[in-house]
Amino acid sequence: MIRLDQVTKVYEGGTVAANDVSLDIQKGEFVFLVGASGSGKSTLIRLMLRDEPVTRGKIWVAGKDITTLPKWKIPYLRRSVGTVFQDYKLLPNKTVAENVSFALEVLGRPQSVVGPQVEQVLDLVDLADKAERYPRQLSGGEQQRVSVARAFVNRPPIMLCDEPTGNLDPKTSVGIMRLLDRINRTGTTIVMATHDHAIVDAMKRRVVALEDGKVVRDDETGGYEAVES
Amino acid sequence: MSRIVFLLKEAMVSLRRNALIVVAAIVTVFISLGVALTALVINEVFRVNTLAWQDGVHIIVFLNDEGDNGVPPGAHQTLLGEVQSWDEVKDAKYFTKADAWEEYQQIFAGQDELLDIDPTILPASIRIELTDINLHQAVKFRLEQQSGVVRQVAVASESIEQLQELSSVINVGLLTASIVLGVAAVVLIANTIRLAIYSRRDEVSIMKLVGASNWFIRVPFLLEGLIEGVVGAALAVFAVWLGASSIAQATTGFALFRFDVSQQFFFQRGLLLLIFGAVAGVVGSMLGLSRYLRDAEGTGPDVPTGF
Repeated sequence: MIRLDQVTKVYEGGTVAANDVSLDIQKGEFVFLVGASGSGKSTLIRLMLRDEPVTRGKIWVAGKDITTLPKWKIPYLRRSVGTVFQDYKLLPNKTVAENVSFALEVLGRPQSVVGPQVEQVLDLVDLADKAERYPRQLSGGEQQRVSVARAFVNRPPIMLCDEPTGNLDPKTSVGIMRLLDRINRTGTTIVMATHDHAIVDAMKRRVVALEDGKVVRDDETGGYEAVES
Repeated sequence: MSRIVFLLKEAMVSLRRNALIVVAAIVTVFISLGVALTALVINEVFRVNTLAWQDGVHIIVFLNDEGDNGVPPGAHQTLLGEVQSWDEVKDAKYFTKADAWEEYQQIFAGQDELLDIDPTILPASIRIELTDINLHQAVKFRLEQQSGVVRQVAVASESIEQLQELSSVINVGLLTASIVLGVAAVVLIANTIRLAIYSRRDEVSIMKLVGASNWFIRVPFLLEGLIEGVVGAALAVFAVWLGASSIAQATTGFALFRFDVSQQFFFQRGLLLLIFGAVAGVVGSMLGLSRYLRDAEGTGPDVPTGF
């Protein structure tokens, strides 16, 4: 579903954020990208979203080489990738329902489709009763659930999550992880950058550890820290 | 359909959020196009009032019809030939009754009650351009000797000459001002759009994240510029039309000078101005979007920049 082949990203000024990274992520997998701040997790997410061009190497997303994708085709890539960020990225002047339907409206979906689909996804994230509230009237966890709903409302085959629990307390984080797990069970591939030890250890999913932009570990069902053998 | 409604809604939200700067842009378009239309109206008023005196005509000799008053057939052409041979005359042209009717229709375009006349009552004429305007008294005297064929001799007075000069000075001044203000309007619209993008940068970055195409993101901003341009132009057309109509109404009965401009003129020029306003709005928006158009890949400043 996602393949990175010897990907290197060097920012202006010479900072190497990704160094010869090769990864193969299968359909339906749940992959954690772990590592300290500055290890290159967020950069990999941004490269997979073509928010940044690679310096060297190739990235395939859903069978397409996105490194050679013309700029005008980037929106089509993003329609097949849902994204969740640490800071939720909700529109403060739109209600919960409007924030979620926004993702469908920009794609030009007819109103007859938007309404039921938004209702369904708000049920999934357990926010149907708060559809008319504004983000400022919600807790951090609820806001992140809205963000997950928006990312998933279009039923993308891939979801990229950058520190989705970074701003949340442990209990709320568990709720978000349960939600992502449910989404993953529908067949959606999830790649999540995090430095939350407890979550990674509890989920027992594939773990890719990064250090100074390099992959230093890739465990099929690992924990946050490498197990010394 | 829902897409169009969504885009229009987004444009309206943006217009409301930047109300003050939007009003400034509309006012600038209004003033610039208002000045331009005023220049066109003044030009039209002068043109209509001095229609017969254009192209350097100094003397008009109105002729009695051949066959009437003992005027023999061919008398018009004989007089024309004679006039053309005079040293003081630079050029002389024959103006048939049909030409006179055509000119009359132009002068009184849109005023049906004045157009309802028998065209045959309009006389043929000879239009004379002199080598020197100061010779007009002598030429007039010689023409008046040709009683019978000559009905009346009209001489372009100095005031008409001055009027024409004044008209061109006013035109140059007003058109220069309207060009400068027109550029200012485009720049201001560009600035409005830039501010609108800035105030909606979160939405723009989220739209990009969820896969909105660049054109989809741009359309509300282009619509915003278009609305500013068209509203400004429509206000300008309305204000100038109102002003011109009021002046025309206040001066009805002025024998020497007609201030009224036909509705057809306003319709045609007004339409042109609306199109110009729309184009200025879209061009301004494009300028405002230009930096954004170049930077179409990233999702904007809101995506975390750390790694």
